[in-house]
Amino acid sequence: MQALIEKIGRSVGGVVGTLFQAGRDAVDLCLKTIIPFMAFVTFVIGLILETGVGDAIANGIKGFSSSLGGLMIVCIICAIPVLSPLLGPGAVIAQIVGVLIGTEIGRGNIDVSMALPALFAINPQVGCDFVPVGLALGEAEPETVTIGVPAVLTSRMITGPISVVVGYLFALGL
Amino acid sequence: MDALVNGAEAFIQVFRTAADVFVGFTTGIIPIVVVFLTAVNALVKFIGEERVEGFAKWASQEGWAYMPVRYTLLPFVAVFMLTNPVCYTFGTFLPEKHKPAFYDSAVSFVHPITGIFPHANGGELFVWLGIAAGVEIVAPDMVTALAVRYLLAGLVVILIRGIVTDIIYNIMAARKAGVE
Repeated sequence: MQALIEKIGRSVGGVVGTLFQAGRDAVDLCLKTIIPFMAFVTFVIGLILETGVGDAIANGIKGFSSSLGGLMIVCIICAIPVLSPLLGPGAVIAQIVGVLIGTEIGRGNIDVSMALPALFAINPQVGCDFVPVGLALGEAEPETVTIGVPAVLTSRMITGPISVVVGYLFALGL
Repeated sequence: MDALVNGAEAFIQVFRTAADVFVGFTTGIIPIVVVFLTAVNALVKFIGEERVEGFAKWASQEGWAYMPVRYTLLPFVAVFMLTNPVCYTFGTFLPEKHKPAFYDSAVSFVHPITGIFPHANGGELFVWLGIAAGVEIVAPDMVTALAVRYLLAGLVVILIRGIVTDIIYNIMAARKAGVE
């Protein structure tokens, strides 16, 4: 009997402990990464909305973001193997451009149907800065890394524009 | 004097607007992300590492037949369970020649997944949230549908990326072997 009680107590304790630790990790991530980035992003949004910068950017972005062809051009530029590793780190560029385009969608300057293809168009460089590290995490041989890096970067030139088309097709009928 | 006051007013207005947006994000995004993160973190711990690894070993087998599993299901599980950047360690289970394609596939999924599962890449939420915030204003009822489509389109895109990178890697590897 006592053993049973002990067993129940122990497993309940284990479950509660796990949940508590999960909560702690969640709040930690929120405080240390999500909220700081949110502060930065909201500042950018405030700047866009309240200054003339917004209209200037809007005109620039609108030309590219309101048509499939324009998004393709953005995507191909972001995917150029020399540029893509520079644009990649922390997805900062993709996040800022995402906020810019989102703001323009909110103001009605860009059609909602462009949201999904835009999500792919601004992001063909994702992880291009991180290929050697990512491969190392997967315990790849140095030989694999040497060929793998240019392979991934070259591949993005092809798959980047394809991803925009896929996004466009998936947005149909939304 | 008036010009100065107007200037100051315009200056402070930037921060007022920014603060309003910040409050909106804080009440709209933070609570759901925290609760969701907690639930998924716990789920991952309850399922346990061994079971996930067992699946990874099955999913990372060689051959054309396993391609859809290798470049859709495996990256999905990796990113969902291990989150960015630990998810790339699943590359360990793959044959050497498929590692670059798997990395390409997994890394391309760390943003499409955030529309529905924000825990997977908490540090880079604003690729999705930036655009979603705009959609929220013009068509609030479309945001969830858009998130689902972003996830599905993401799965298609990572499959294509995996296959294309595999082919390019093979060509480059063969060329290099030929030179040597």
